[in-house]
Amino acid sequence: MTRLRQTLNDIADEAPLVNLADTAIAGYRRRRRFTTGAAALGTALVLAAATAATTVPWQRQQPAASQDAGTVPDLPAGKIGPLSHAYRTRCEIRPQRTVNCDEVEWRVVTAAGTTYRVPQALAMTTKNWSVPVSISRDGRMLAYYSRQAQAHVVRDLVTGAETTSPVTVEEDRIGIGSMLVVSDDGRYVVFDPREGSKDPGTLIDVRTGRTAPVNGKYEVISVKGGVVELVRYVKTDLWLMPVTGGGKPVRFKGPYIMFNEVSPDGRTVAAVRWGQGNQDVMTLLDVKTGRVVRRLTMRGLPKDRFAHLMNTGPWVSGHEFTVVYGAVGGRAATYAVDAGTGRTRRLTGYGKAGSLVVPGVTEVSQ
Amino acid sequence: MDRHDGFREFVLARQQALMRTAYLLTGDAHLAEDLLQSVLMKVVRQWHKLSKDGNPEAYTRKALVNQYISWRRRPRPEVPSGDPPERGLSHDDATLDRIVLRQALAKLAPRQRAVIVLRFREDLSEAQTAELLGCSVGTVKSQTHHALARLRAVAPELAHLLSEQEIVEVAR
Repeated sequence: MTRLRQTLNDIADEAPLVNLADTAIAGYRRRRRFTTGAAALGTALVLAAATAATTVPWQRQQPAASQDAGTVPDLPAGKIGPLSHAYRTRCEIRPQRTVNCDEVEWRVVTAAGTTYRVPQALAMTTKNWSVPVSISRDGRMLAYYSRQAQAHVVRDLVTGAETTSPVTVEEDRIGIGSMLVVSDDGRYVVFDPREGSKDPGTLIDVRTGRTAPVNGKYEVISVKGGVVELVRYVKTDLWLMPVTGGGKPVRFKGPYIMFNEVSPDGRTVAAVRWGQGNQDVMTLLDVKTGRVVRRLTMRGLPKDRFAHLMNTGPWVSGHEFTVVYGAVGGRAATYAVDAGTGRTRRLTGYGKAGSLVVPGVTEVSQ
Repeated sequence: MDRHDGFREFVLARQQALMRTAYLLTGDAHLAEDLLQSVLMKVVRQWHKLSKDGNPEAYTRKALVNQYISWRRRPRPEVPSGDPPERGLSHDDATLDRIVLRQALAKLAPRQRAVIVLRFREDLSEAQTAELLGCSVGTVKSQTHHALARLRAVAPELAHLLSEQEIVEVAR
């Protein structure tokens, strides 16, 4: 072996260990949603409750959380403070080219920047399906699935109170692409066992144990002010269903994906028109009539060629909503988008993680 | 089992080797990951065809190198890695060679860098390199010659690496 080759090998040895299979598949699926009719199974963001535009952690600039696997303490009992985000650690790649996902776990990062392990939150099922967590839009409530309790648990990070749902959910029910949404008051969780399938979801009142089925054709976006926001893709229908049942869907002309929650005035939602070719263009839709209120081109987003819109998020005020923007395999950040001008401003950046959950937004694969 | 299981298996088995190549090409851990990630997204799209009658690794490697060259054709400031070397803090000769070579590689044109990696690290023949880069053998020869000359010019301290008989013969 030449010394040049040896030195090149030495440099190559500095390459970080990676686990890219699932991220590549997720990126491929995401791209398909924009380029084929698979928008029907589009990623639904989940936004949580509270009608008032309360202060959310994103309004404070937070440093990106460290993703390093170091000594991270377990989430202690008691008052922790609101969360900035959560992420799932990656599988471990061993030198023998085997992958160990046994140690995959959920971690949360507080608004103050402290990272904690959450070992009680199941991250992978025995069948290796990802298990979601959900953070309310104000960062206060964390919902997760507990293997020990065979049920969902809602933890109030501000008071330290923890409520275990009296409704048993077998681990086997958690399928590929399962989703979870928690309301801002932590009272309701919506569990969708399999995104994009017709397998019905369940609305659970974790205080009383009362449940209501959620039509499997719909995906849940938020539980807000006693109303569950549901979206059916392709057609596209938006159904604002009271937690007690009822309500009627409104149909939009044309396929839309990536809906966010209803604006604080209850009149509009932001979404992405499928097939428009430019993901930086958002459409504001009237939730009563289904008409297009406005199209706006987001301005001021990073020019990284790999970056794209990963999801839409809650409203931070009456005239600004959020989006998660970043690159698959790269870093992401939340941006506030002016609903009138499309001008964006960066709120919070996140480190690289396989899966990221931010307040009011379902898991996005980075 | 799902339809991506074969792809997963392939990636698990080969991703680290591919990542090493990507890292040598880009010189930056994040860029390398982005590069490989974007290529794997293409591979998963073609997986059905590749797994039946193709050579997934050859396709991936070819896509990796060409994607890298394609990236570098577009205006993009060279972003040297801000990360310190992750291995070995002692500045022995090998460490210094590694640091200097990394810096020198960053000053090569993309095709030149690619031929250095393919010829001298991957040990591909001129014909194999030409096939992978989609160019003639003559182009590979000239690119190799120019790349080595450029390395000697920008990093004279690497003369001991570049003057070995085997290297000199390749460059002829």
